[in-house]
Amino acid sequence: MQDGTSAPQRIAVRSSGRNRRPDSARLRRLNILVGALSLPLFVGLWELASRSGAVNMVLFPPPTVVAAAVLEWIRSGQFLVDLTASLYRVTTGFMVGGALGILFGILTGQFPVMSSLLSPLFHILRPIPPIAFVPIVILWFGLSEAGKLFLVVWGVFFTVWLSTHIGVQKVDRGLIRAALMLGTPRRQMLQEIVLLGALPYIVVGLRTAVSISFYTLVAAELAGTFAGIVYRIEIAQQNMQTGQVMGGLAALGLISFIADRLFAVLAERTVWWR
Amino acid sequence: MSGSRSIVKLALASSPASVDSARKQPAIQVSNLSIVFDTHRGQTVAVDRVSFDVAPGEFVCVVGPSGCGKSTVLNTIAGLEVPYEGDILVEGSPVGGPRPDVGMVFQQPHLFPWKSVRRNIAHGPRMHRKSRKEANAIADDLIAMIGLKRFADAYPNTLSGGMQQRVAIARALANQPRVLLMDEPFGALDAQTRAVMQDNLLELRDRIKATIVFVTHDIDEAILLADRVLIMSAGPGRILREVAVKLPRPRSSTIMVEPSYLSLKKDCLDVIRAEGARAFNQSDSN
Repeated sequence: MQDGTSAPQRIAVRSSGRNRRPDSARLRRLNILVGALSLPLFVGLWELASRSGAVNMVLFPPPTVVAAAVLEWIRSGQFLVDLTASLYRVTTGFMVGGALGILFGILTGQFPVMSSLLSPLFHILRPIPPIAFVPIVILWFGLSEAGKLFLVVWGVFFTVWLSTHIGVQKVDRGLIRAALMLGTPRRQMLQEIVLLGALPYIVVGLRTAVSISFYTLVAAELAGTFAGIVYRIEIAQQNMQTGQVMGGLAALGLISFIADRLFAVLAERTVWWR
Repeated sequence: MSGSRSIVKLALASSPASVDSARKQPAIQVSNLSIVFDTHRGQTVAVDRVSFDVAPGEFVCVVGPSGCGKSTVLNTIAGLEVPYEGDILVEGSPVGGPRPDVGMVFQQPHLFPWKSVRRNIAHGPRMHRKSRKEANAIADDLIAMIGLKRFADAYPNTLSGGMQQRVAIARALANQPRVLLMDEPFGALDAQTRAVMQDNLLELRDRIKATIVFVTHDIDEAILLADRVLIMSAGPGRILREVAVKLPRPRSSTIMVEPSYLSLKKDCLDVIRAEGARAFNQSDSN
């Protein structure tokens, strides 16, 4: 390693590194700048296009109109009511569906008999899009909250069930053998090894389920309700309040984004050893 | 353990000769061990009527080509491989499953990734109903012994392969096993780390009084470490030859250039070469 042949190479690498570094720093700064301009640029162009008369301003209201609609929505107090209704549906549905998914995932992942009993059924039900259940849910639950929760729970459950099931199945057999050799009783294997071994998979499943719970929220609120962000979008559409429609979409996107970010932070702490 | 103690008591009551024989009761007795696997092509005999004894405190290495069933034999002694034919007695009692007086180190460290080094080592004592404080004290002693004090609170994914395997050895020792089984524990390490680990194990072995059975495919490793080397053949696995290693202890890897070492190695290689040629001709004629 210390012979003369490697020396020129090292110098070459160093000199190219010296040349590259300022370039890459400049490039990075440029990227940050472009990134910061992305949204204002888009909104500005939208405003211009909308006001220029090139498009129908009623169908494509400019951002200023959308902002005014959102402000009015908030000031009237209706926004808080809609937000609470939607968040309640999403969080309750997510927690119930997630808990059931984890429970059944452990059962089918750990006990082959349970898997033989339930997996075929779950695999047939899983691919049916939750939205397809809207008509039957209206028949079963009418316009009650239970029907909304049912749809969100349905959407969340299968994702979490499958990832938990796979996570439990994929727990390293070597860890279980090592635990056995150290005197871990088989009845404690679930809590000592299997649950923690499956945890990274469960967390990934839950995170996917966050966005799924928002998809199913849309179906749930379109199925008929009296408050909620998607409900507000639908009502505004019927009244041709396109500014309010777009404001609702933006709000939904923002909430969904925040929920995903929050969960990502939470997930990082849950799998603490990574 | 209580069984072996009562045997000693009985022996004391009788003649001095039987006291001697009772004291020399093997730590491990394997007799006529056969293991048959069901495969998609029918049944495969993995291990064929293997018999050997290991004396208390003895260090035995089992060498053989991959697939010769040496790991299977070890797993069976550990109580992880059932069913088997034949008899296995550890400390005088038959093996029916994992037991606290038998510890095992695998080729992969298999550390619990969610536990710190200390918690990993304390796991065994905890499972044997020691308090958290006691278990941590045991762990801290072992951490000092393997020289990883700075890493006591580190998680396994931050350690190198060699460090992880040291933790795995300490974890197996935390239950103070009478018998320590090691399944190619250094097989996944690079050559330099492996040499260091071998010297560490030799030092460690002088401090613990466990009987050790160590499986490897590396003949140098086997002679360096062992009091006795069992050479196995493949398909089906059986024991070809026992070679006693009467090299002085304490040993270190410098012994590998001594003439006595080299002549032992030649003996072992002759056996392996003859067997290799036989297996090759057999597969050729098939």
